[in-house]
Parts: sequence; C-alpha cells; structure tokens
Amino acid sequence: MQWQIKENETIAEKIYYAPLDGGPDLYVLPRKGYNKKYAIFSTRFGSVDNSFRAAGNGEEEITLPDGVAHFLEHKLFDEKEGNVFDRFASYGASPNAFTSFTHTTYLFSSTDFFAENLKLLINFVQSPYFTEESVAKEQGIIQQEIRMYQDNPEWRVYFNLLKALYEHHPVRNDIAGTVESIGMITKDILYKCYDTFYHPRNMAIFVTGDVSPAEILDLVAESLSKRTFPPFNEMRRVYPREKAAVSEKKVTQELAVSQPVFNMGFKDTYAYLDGRELLSRELASELLLEMVFGKSEHLFTDLYEEGLIDEHFSSGYTAERSYGYTLLGGRTKDPEKLHEKLLEGIEKVKKEGLERESFARHKRKMRGEFLRSFNSLEFIANNYLAYRFRDIEFFDTLDVLEEITLEDMEKRLHEHLIEELHAVSIVYPFRP
Amino acid sequence: MISLDSKTLPANINIHLLPTPKFKTVLVTVLLHQVLEKKLAAKTALLPAVLERGTGKYPSLRDLKIRLEELYGAELGADVIKKGERQILSFSLEVVNDKFAPGENLLRQGLLILKDVISDPFLENGAFKREYVHQEKEQLAKEIRGLINDKVNYALERCVQEMCPTERFGVYKYGSIEELDPVSAEGLYEYYKALLRENPMDIFVVGEVDAEETFDLIQEAFYFSRNGVPGELPPVEVYNIPGEVRYREEKLPVNQGKLTLGYRTNISYQDEEYVDLLFYNGILGGFPHSKLFQNVREKASLAYYSFSRLEKHKGIQLVGSGIEVDNYRQALEIILEQVELIKKGKISREEMENTRRALINMYKVVGDSPYNLVNFYIDGLIGEREEGVDYFINKIEGIKEENVVAVAHKVYLDTIYFLRSEDGEGGEQS
Repeated sequence: MQWQIKENETIAEKIYYAPLDGGPDLYVLPRKGYNKKYAIFSTRFGSVDNSFRAAGNGEEEITLPDGVAHFLEHKLFDEKEGNVFDRFASYGASPNAFTSFTHTTYLFSSTDFFAENLKLLINFVQSPYFTEESVAKEQGIIQQEIRMYQDNPEWRVYFNLLKALYEHHPVRNDIAGTVESIGMITKDILYKCYDTFYHPRNMAIFVTGDVSPAEILDLVAESLSKRTFPPFNEMRRVYPREKAAVSEKKVTQELAVSQPVFNMGFKDTYAYLDGRELLSRELASELLLEMVFGKSEHLFTDLYEEGLIDEHFSSGYTAERSYGYTLLGGRTKDPEKLHEKLLEGIEKVKKEGLERESFARHKRKMRGEFLRSFNSLEFIANNYLAYRFRDIEFFDTLDVLEEITLEDMEKRLHEHLIEELHAVSIVYPFRP
Repeated sequence: MISLDSKTLPANINIHLLPTPKFKTVLVTVLLHQVLEKKLAAKTALLPAVLERGTGKYPSLRDLKIRLEELYGAELGADVIKKGERQILSFSLEVVNDKFAPGENLLRQGLLILKDVISDPFLENGAFKREYVHQEKEQLAKEIRGLINDKVNYALERCVQEMCPTERFGVYKYGSIEELDPVSAEGLYEYYKALLRENPMDIFVVGEVDAEETFDLIQEAFYFSRNGVPGELPPVEVYNIPGEVRYREEKLPVNQGKLTLGYRTNISYQDEEYVDLLFYNGILGGFPHSKLFQNVREKASLAYYSFSRLEKHKGIQLVGSGIEVDNYRQALEIILEQVELIKKGKISREEMENTRRALINMYKVVGDSPYNLVNFYIDGLIGEREEGVDYFINKIEGIKEENVVAVAHKVYLDTIYFLRSEDGEGGEQS
C-alpha cells in the first residue's frame, strides 16, 4: 500500500492518505508531543439521508422515519456479549459517537493501549447486533435525549428556523427525530440502513496524535483482512425538490426562558455543490458575515451598545452538498427591533459598499483562527473527514481563502443576504 | 510532562511559564484572586466586562476589536471563574505563535493590549466611563437572569444554592441582581483599584517561547505598582455533616424533570484522601462505565444522562439526571442504591480497573490543551498543592477498593433538588 502524502507548510502539518483496497479511506496526521491519540470512524449517513434507493432492493425507494441514523448510532454500541463501552473502558478509553445531518462518527481517545482500542473501534462499528428488545429499551433513553433538547432554547430556535427555511428538504427535521417517529423504528430498519450506509467504501478512518502511519496502516489492514464485503453498490439518495423561497417567514415558540432568543437565516439557492467550489462558497460566506456582523463592525457594536445583543451573538454559514444557509442570532430583549435593525444594517452595507480595510483584517483573523484550531486533535480529525465527505481537501482552506477577492464579496453580499430569502425564528418566554 | 518555571515579579505578581513546542499558539492567562462573597460577587463579575470595553489607547469596543483582529485574530477573553470559595478575575490572551507570522511580534503586541485592559482602562473624570458601566450592568443582569435558559446547569446551580444558603459557596459566580443594582462607575473603579493593588495575582504563559525573553517581556509590560505583600484570602469551608436531607422542588413549564442530589464529601483538594474521592466519583458516575450510567441509563432506560461531578475545592459532589417526572421515585432509588453498594464494597474488579485507567488517561492528557494545563495549575495554586500530573497518576495507581469504600462512608447526602413540570406524579410533596 502506497501512502499519498500531503504537506501544508503554512500550518506545518503533514497528512498521510491510504485508499485501502475495497475498504474505508484511511488518513493519519501525526502530531509529535501529544499524549492523547484520537481516532474516528465515520460513515456518510446522517439525518438528511432519510430517503434513498438501495441497490439490490429492486431500486425501490425507501423512506425512513425521522431519527434512524441517530438511533443506529446508539445501537451500534451493543454487542451480543453486552456493551462495547466496557471493553473500551478496560483499555482506558472513552468512546463516543455523534450524528450530524450528513454523517455519523464513532470515536475514542486514549493514551495507552491505542492499538487495542483502534481494533475495537473498527470491529464494533462493523459488527451490528440489533434485537427487538434492545431497540425497545433504547427508545426510553432517546426519548429523554429528545426531551432534554425540547427544553433547550438555542436548540429549539435553531431547528424551528430550519423548518421555516426549508419546506421539503429533510434538513428541516430534528436529527434525533421525535418521540413518535422513533417509536416506528424496528430492528429490520436498522439492519437495512446498516447494510446500505455502513459499507466500508462509504466510510473513512482518521487517526491523529503521536503515532506512526506505518503502524496504523498495518493495524487497520489487519483488522479489515478478517472480513469480506459484498461489492459496493452506491445507494442513491433522494431529495425532494426544494424551491428557492423560504417555507415560512417567521416561526415562534414559547419556553421557560428569561428573555427571547432570536435566530435569522438566509437560504442559499444552489441545488448541488461539492469540492473546491463548495469550500470557496463557504469561506466567502463566512468572510462576508464577518464583514457585516463581525464584532469589530459598526453594526455589532451599535447593537451591543443599545443592549439588543450580547457578546454571544454570532453568525455562521453551513455548506453542504444539497443545501446551504446563513444563520445568525442570539438572546435579545426585543427580537422585533433586532430583526428590523439587522435588515437595515444589511441594506446600509449594500449601499455603502464593503471596505477593503475590513476585508483584509477579517481575512487575517480567519487565517489566525484556522491555525489556532489546529491545537485540537478532535477539531482536526472531525473537520478533515467532514470536509472530505464533501470532496473538499481541508488543507486547501488557506489557499482558497487567499483567492477570494473583495469583488467576490460584493457579489456574494448582493446575491445571498437578500430579504426574500430570509426567515426568522423566535423563542419567547411564556406569556402570563 | 511540561514543567512549571515560576518567578515572582517585584510587583508581587507570580509568573508561571509552561514552555512546550506542541501548540500553534501562545496562551497568556492573568488571574486576580478575590474571595467569593455575596456582597462582592456582582461587583467583581462586572469588572471583566467593563475592562473589556476599552483602554486608554483603544477607547471603544470597536477600537479594541479591530486591533485584536489585526493581530491575526488574537483572542482576548475576560471573565470570572468560581473555584471553591474564590471568585477569580481571569484575563486571557491567545495569539498565533510568532513563528507562523514572522515579523509581526504578535506576542509582544498582544501582551501590551492585555496589560492595558488590566491596568489602563478607559476612564472619564477619574472613574470608569458611566455609559460602559451602565451598559455592562444591563448585560450582566441578563446573564444572571439567563441562567434559567440552560436547564441542565440551572438545576445543578440551584441545588448548590439550596444546599449552601449561608455559605459563601452558595453565591452564584455572577452574583445577584440586588447586589448589582446599586453599583456606580465611581464605586466600581475604587473597588478595582484596591483589588489590583492588594490581591494575589498570577500569570501563566503556555507555548513555544523562550523563558528568559518571556519573563523580561512580562516584567516590562506588567510594571504597575502594587502592594509588596498581597492580602490573604480566607480558606474554603469544607467539613460539614448535614442532618436530615433537605428536599426542594421547583415547578417550571419544562418537558423533562431534572433530579439533582448534592452530597457533602468532607474531602477537599487539599486533603490526603482527595485522590480516593476522585476514584469514588469515577466509580459512581464519572464515566460511561460508572454505576450511574450503567444502571440509571443502560439498565433502567430512565435517562439519557446521569452523572456525578465534583467541585474539588469545596468537596461537594453533585449527581444529575434528566428524567420523566413520573419516574422520580424509581430514579432516586436506583441512585441511592448505587451509593449504598459502594459503601458495602460492592465494586467489581472491572469497575476498579476501568476507573483507574480512565483517571490516569484524564491526567495524561492534561498537557494536550493549553487551557487544561493552566486550569490544572490554578487548582494547584488554590489547593496549595505543588505536585505535578505524575504525582496524581502514581496515587491513582495505588488506590484500593478499601480507599473507595472509606470515602463512601464520609459522604453525606445534603440536598435533593427536583426541577419539574406542573403535571406528572413525582417528587416528595405530591
């Protein structure tokens, strides 16, 4: 097996890539001096993959109840002999997993027994064991997870906004599903999804820490050699047609909070993007948001001084293959006024134009932030694969950022931050 | 392990250097210690926010933010942290290491801003600017009221407040609205001047830096005048054997009940048995293999989360679980049973060994994050322990079942706090 090595001199990092024959892609990024070693095993299966045509199924379209990817993530920790947590624990590792809109990731970090833990990770993710009984038992646990989020105002305001932005796209559904939808999940559904989405060709492994790439490769190759896989027939994800316009202009809810929480979203209009083009879209949008809503900009400091926002006010852009959007907001005493002022602020920037000085400064800041985030092994691994799954080389970030011009920003400002493509979501305190 | 290189400046500021090549950044953290007290907490909590509004050289929030962004997005943070019965003003600056930005002198430039934020605040008529103080009071009031928005933390904090109504530890880290209201710009500035002159102060630097150069740089930047001997802060009150268990419930329109148990462990970070306590907490609820997670969640499916956590300086242990209100009795019984099992020595060999490995792992990775590293040494400062990570790992290696059982016998349940909705049959009073 030949390594393909990618080096980035600006951040002084080197990544080793091995396309394993018939297996998952393997990436290793050695970091000298760290005690912690961190490994993740990810599959391209998230909450938005709820409708697909699987090969060998007569090409019939399958539609899932909401929350299957997340439910499967919980249940994969079960083994015939019990729970895999205990086996990790005996090697001093803390395993965990998370499900996003687009992928599911299993992970652990450890200092000792790294080889044992890595083998365990690879094996348990490839050994599904679902029973009707264990599925029923998990429903109680996930119900409580859902209830916990129902009381979380930041979470609610965010998912309500997605519902406002998207009429059909499954990104509008909660990742964990609902108490009702998880009641419809059966062991057969889990196996069907496992067979479709957990084929090694749909997956990737990332290892980082003070490790030797050669040793990791041997370990992974050995773990995989004991298994045989059917040939990979890629499933076809089916997304409903989503119109450009938002579904609803405004959604509200009441919760036990001290003051309203406000979110505002702008829906992007592309139907599909990936690779460098998608990365460029993401970075340009992030840079634009910095230039319009950043903490050094008049709009932010004016709103702060008026007491309409606090230091937690933030903005960000999400770029996925089949959808993209801007999200901004935070807690506020007066959501209606904040909404109005934000729209006015955007119009003002459009009229006055973006400043070259602000453009250069925010670019510098983004470069610094990118470098700083490389202190965290978790950040590196999680992001590298999340970008890889969109056919993006994460190490290209600084180069692509450099290519962006002020003219690109102006264009992005006028095509993206437009009133017709925005929606708001507000969580109010209960009214007496 | 990264070792600490300490020095005391003539102005009675202790500098602690943690040189390591692993990180892409240099982190500087300045701590100004204060006692946690009802009358002072809101005032102290207001300070970092006001200080971050502007300096003599960069008079407005915008001026300051612009300058920080120019320095490759230097992160400047100011907040209060609560540890035991101390409320510590913490100012931190993280800059990209100069080797990634040749010729920019990011550390020096950043330090000058940090120093100005601390010792050269923007003043008007010899006091903090009124408008800044007024605005930050409003923001802090929102923060205090906003605790309720995060129900998981709210339940833990409320349990502590009910448990320690007359102890300093019962004070919320941001203080209370009543104590915040009367604070004036003038009074706040006088208070800060005294604090800066008299209270203990420490500076930590983590990253790839030259020790001599950095000591000189900090000495040059932090030259303001302070009293020769810093004031002593009172020690934390730990030992307490409660009488009857206190039950408190609060009704809010929530979807999930939060059951919180507050225990007095009668052991603090300073005590010889601290590591025994840490081990006990690991057996009970520190990890996924622990008794709480295994029994409340995995076996009974009652909760998504069920954990125990220590406040190491005060010696309080909190047990938290999110449950259906109707399941109150069942969840409580399972939790109490786990504590009883440990008392009786019903601890498996796996539980012992898994906890040992998990704790060792926890200490081994302390040095992998600049923030965790600083936090570890702050605990050492407050708990007056100079040992490094290796000491703790050695101690953990030697813990036996009897040590854990002994801890279980010193631990007393003090308060049960139950956050619940109106409907549902649960709790003690329904």
